[in-house]
Amino acid sequence: MRQHICIGLALLTEIVIPLAAWGTEPSPLRVCPEAIRLDSPESFEQLLVFELSDEGIPVDVTRQAAYSTLAAGVVEVSPSGQVVPVSDGHADLRVRVGKHETTVAVEVRGVAAPPPVSFQRDVVPILSKAGCNSGGCHGKAEGKNGFKLSVFGYDTAADFHAIVMEDCGRRVSPAAPDQSLLLLKATAQVPHGGGLKIERNSRWYRLLRRWIQERGAVDRQVEHLVDISVEPAEVTLSPHGSQQLRVMARYQGDHSRCVTAEGEYQSNNDAIAAASRDGLVTATDVPGEAAILVRYLGQVAICRVTRPRDEGTFARPPERNFIDPLVWDKLELLRIAPSPLADDATFLRRVFLDTIGTLPTAAEARSWLADPAPDKRRRVIAELLNRPEYADYWAQRWSDLLQVDRDAITPQGAVAMTRWVRGQIAQNAPYDEFVRAILMAQGSTLSESPAAFFQVHGDPEKLARSVSQLFLGVRIECAQCHHHPFEHWDQQDYYALAGFFTGIVRQPISQGALKIVGKDGEDMKHPRTGRPVPAAGLGAAVADLPPHADRCRTLAAWATRPENPFFTRVIVNRLWAHYMGRGLVEPLDDLRTTNPASNERLMNALTDHLIALHYDLKAFTQTLLDSYVYQLSSQVNDSNRLDLQNYSHAAWKAVPAEVLLDMISQATGVPEEFNGWPRGIRAIQIWDNRLPSHSLEVFGRPTGRSGCACERGAEPTMAQALHLMNSPTAVRKVQHRDGRAARLAASNLGTDELVDELYLAALSRFPTDGERPLMRQALARPADRREAAEDILWTLLNLREFVFNH
Amino acid sequence: MWNKVFGTDRRFCDRITRRRMLRVGGTSLLGGLTLPTLLQLQANAATSKPPKAKACIFLMLEGGPSHIDLWDLKPDAPAEVRGPFKPISTVVPGTQISEILPLCSHLADKFTILRSHSHNDNAHQTGRHWVLTGYPPSFADGQAKGVPFNELYPSIGSIVSRELGSDGDVPPYIEVPNALGPGGPGFYGAQYAPFTIDSDPAQPDFSVRDLTVPDSITSERFARRVTLLSEIEQRGAGQQAIGRPQALTSYYERAVDLVTSPQACKAFNVQSESTAMRERYGYTSIGQSALLARRLVEAGCRFIGIDHGSWDTHFDNFASLEKTLAPPMDRAFSALVTDLDQRGMLDDTLVIMMGEMGRTPQINKDVGRDHWSQCQTVILAGGGIKRGALIGATDSTASSPMTQPYGIQDLLRTVFHLLGVDADKVYLTPLGRPLPIVNGGKLIDEVLA
Repeated sequence: MRQHICIGLALLTEIVIPLAAWGTEPSPLRVCPEAIRLDSPESFEQLLVFELSDEGIPVDVTRQAAYSTLAAGVVEVSPSGQVVPVSDGHADLRVRVGKHETTVAVEVRGVAAPPPVSFQRDVVPILSKAGCNSGGCHGKAEGKNGFKLSVFGYDTAADFHAIVMEDCGRRVSPAAPDQSLLLLKATAQVPHGGGLKIERNSRWYRLLRRWIQERGAVDRQVEHLVDISVEPAEVTLSPHGSQQLRVMARYQGDHSRCVTAEGEYQSNNDAIAAASRDGLVTATDVPGEAAILVRYLGQVAICRVTRPRDEGTFARPPERNFIDPLVWDKLELLRIAPSPLADDATFLRRVFLDTIGTLPTAAEARSWLADPAPDKRRRVIAELLNRPEYADYWAQRWSDLLQVDRDAITPQGAVAMTRWVRGQIAQNAPYDEFVRAILMAQGSTLSESPAAFFQVHGDPEKLARSVSQLFLGVRIECAQCHHHPFEHWDQQDYYALAGFFTGIVRQPISQGALKIVGKDGEDMKHPRTGRPVPAAGLGAAVADLPPHADRCRTLAAWATRPENPFFTRVIVNRLWAHYMGRGLVEPLDDLRTTNPASNERLMNALTDHLIALHYDLKAFTQTLLDSYVYQLSSQVNDSNRLDLQNYSHAAWKAVPAEVLLDMISQATGVPEEFNGWPRGIRAIQIWDNRLPSHSLEVFGRPTGRSGCACERGAEPTMAQALHLMNSPTAVRKVQHRDGRAARLAASNLGTDELVDELYLAALSRFPTDGERPLMRQALARPADRREAAEDILWTLLNLREFVFNH
Repeated sequence: MWNKVFGTDRRFCDRITRRRMLRVGGTSLLGGLTLPTLLQLQANAATSKPPKAKACIFLMLEGGPSHIDLWDLKPDAPAEVRGPFKPISTVVPGTQISEILPLCSHLADKFTILRSHSHNDNAHQTGRHWVLTGYPPSFADGQAKGVPFNELYPSIGSIVSRELGSDGDVPPYIEVPNALGPGGPGFYGAQYAPFTIDSDPAQPDFSVRDLTVPDSITSERFARRVTLLSEIEQRGAGQQAIGRPQALTSYYERAVDLVTSPQACKAFNVQSESTAMRERYGYTSIGQSALLARRLVEAGCRFIGIDHGSWDTHFDNFASLEKTLAPPMDRAFSALVTDLDQRGMLDDTLVIMMGEMGRTPQINKDVGRDHWSQCQTVILAGGGIKRGALIGATDSTASSPMTQPYGIQDLLRTVFHLLGVDADKVYLTPLGRPLPIVNGGKLIDEVLA
């Protein structure tokens, strides 16, 4: 497992120049591979043909090439460059593109006397690619219509048994292979719920047929698949350009085979480049980067696609710290021009909402905007990080993630745990210590401690899933039942991790509270083999567990080591996503070698930086917010309008429900009243995740049932729009007799000053020259001054500029 | 309050037109942005054949109605099973239902009785979750407190909302009077969440939360506000907004539509129905909810979930049914089907009435009946369903189907088929797991007209 990860990471970090080993010959045509050997009637080879463009960039012309051979009847080549054998012999394959021509030597053998078909090597990949063993079909836990395969073919022995032995053996008929139910169903010659999956007499059909004819033997000797590779591993495409991929499987003994037809392809960003079933990658006109995930029998590889804008010059903005050049490098490569720096008012509002979940007051905004000091941005960041609201806000964010749920851990437990989390944040506990404290928590769930974490997660498997997703960014739960479809993780890894949590004893003390005691545990059993799985971290060697000691200590030590490839990346990504509006990896808690960061060098640099800071999150946040990148405007230009993942402009971020409600209260000057809470308490201070509040529900408060950051509703809804426009909450606050609008209207402020106050309170800025006349017009009739002030305030609250952090 | 806003003194619906509010300087409200998501949804109707039903009204009898006392009587069963109610004949020869459903007996030729519904989840929350989402939940019953508790699986209404979108100015998925427990959008996200009325249309002061412009705002003032909002949006920072803020704009447009559209405000104004019509449905929660549902279908809503509770008759089953539960349901359902039929809407409006389970044949010591998911009767009408059919039969004590049992997935597959939604369409969950709209199940051909 360790080895796989290293290979995966190597793929990510190395910049692979496509087909760099071409040499210096003048011919502009290149073919991959340079020679072909086909060794069975059903063998197959995907050719790649490249032509060097004027700029020296290889362009895929596989589908434009004309293919011919002098020696007829040895091979056939499809227009898309797929070579299949016809009969044994040698031939020179001519590849012609325009005026240029090159040849590829082809050798065919094994057609007259074919080598036996292997179930694992040849049959299972076909069942996967044809979708037979997918989760929606026979790969379902209960199978489909009486035929069950292991999902994605992770259990060869069970699949062999299901096909050859079950159902009285009628699925395969060696005597009359074409009458085998397997083939009749797959070709839809008899009614098949899944329809036509394999064409009759196709290559796959012939392979399955021959396997059946050879009496459907189980493999005597299994060729161990070492890994797969994809060519090209990196490609730069023009708008609507395409690239055929070629996938090679490498087996023990360094024997390789082309498995392009059986590989499965998936783009992580269809908006930029999509991949077809045959491995043809096609770009759209959206500039950016995409990763094409290639999957074959539990092995994965990726091809990184870069789609630069086709025109445009790049003027490098200034650099404030190490973050900026790494982002500018990427934008320069993609020819995307970043937006200018955000103006002071926009920056102020953004940094307040991001760090402390609170709007600046009108007075704060006014005085800061007037401050001429050149370092005032840096200073305000530092001040915010030390405000009590920072602890309130981040305690609530972490309580969300840690699933502090009143109903699950009792209200007293929720108070206790929230208090502990808040204390940790207020004293800026290093993140690794914070996590270790959670993982090793013991004692009463009512004490100010993270002990209730073990009450929220009541069993080893739940703990493994949550700990893995929260602190390691690995969604291990797929591996509970089957091989993780996009990763190397399997059931062994899943139960090895869960094995750390088997020693936790939960003693009831009173009224739903527990005393958590960490004891020695025992290894979990593998559900398929029944054998104990020794506890081990993900991708780590079997843990060295001291006898009669709390296993969680060993886990905590492993998980929070700086060398742990996951631990630092996931918190870096979480914070980056919070402040920049989008994770370097998305979804932000789904780190996989096959889901690379949109800027790997930046991710690595940030990870190193946090380790160097000894996990001081405030210092790290200061670095993020000091960067020029964070302070860019959200106003887009023609070149970065479509860019969502390279940080060429600030994002429009939805604010959490609690923050939005507080913003409305603050802007209107009327605090929200929460039943049972003291007057003036703010929503971001409330630990009770189930406090009845229609506003919080409408604005997307999560219910705390999973540690997934996706739980918080980030998408706007019509109910939200209606609520802002019409709800008693919003309307009453706007029109409250002690509210901001009423107070300002009753004051002796002039029209412009009144409007300034409303703008500063709601939007932290002064009205623009374009807005000023509209405001004067609204306030034109002195008799209706209060009504007009209310209308203006209502309008400001309903602006997108108010509702979003931008 | 409702009447004041949408009635004669302050008629948003006609004095200030939606157009006037939306059109400022030649562009629509908030800068002329389109409604990409929503329009795309409407284009997404995933079927080649024209669907039979345009909308679905789902009456959820929460708690589990006693099939053996309502639709599937066993007069020959022993006394400890059969209960006091007598079967009566209906207008369909050979079809008998309970004497406590006299109104339904007169229109049995308009709906289908499916007696062979069966599943194996005998608890409320989990059973309801299964019925409303098509997926057995991953939580244990009783553990999921509060709503919504379907974090993963989208409910029928949210699926319909996503696949069909609205056919008018009203939201595509509306719940009345309260949220259906697991009726949420699951992993589809908040944009497919139901619009929950949270107010009982039988109440004299019924109004829809957040929909009513407050008393203190005259229509002129509201118009001034919306105009100012649109003018600022066109000048301000939001002008260039992409992504989420753009989506919010579309919701604002729809919200303004909803508040100001004559069609929409008329739809919600159940009070504008004649007294005779309101009485026909009954001045009860289920009655007025059903009447409101009909109005919402007329306005283009695709799925209305009616939540009607207290069918969990562990105690005093017979008196509860006879006095409290059956009469309003009998009246509401018969009025709804008759009304839809008379308006020519029954053929393209699917009506379903069921609970999460049936009830035990054995009468318990408290003269009640307990949970019994193995057997339930489902009532179906309109939208491509046979008229007057009796499908399926149960054993001598109504304990289990004697004929082909139909499960929840079969039922939902049939519902989606009629609505023209491809039940095999697959969406990826946040974990990347492919999830078909309905996992398995067979079309129930027998109920199709």
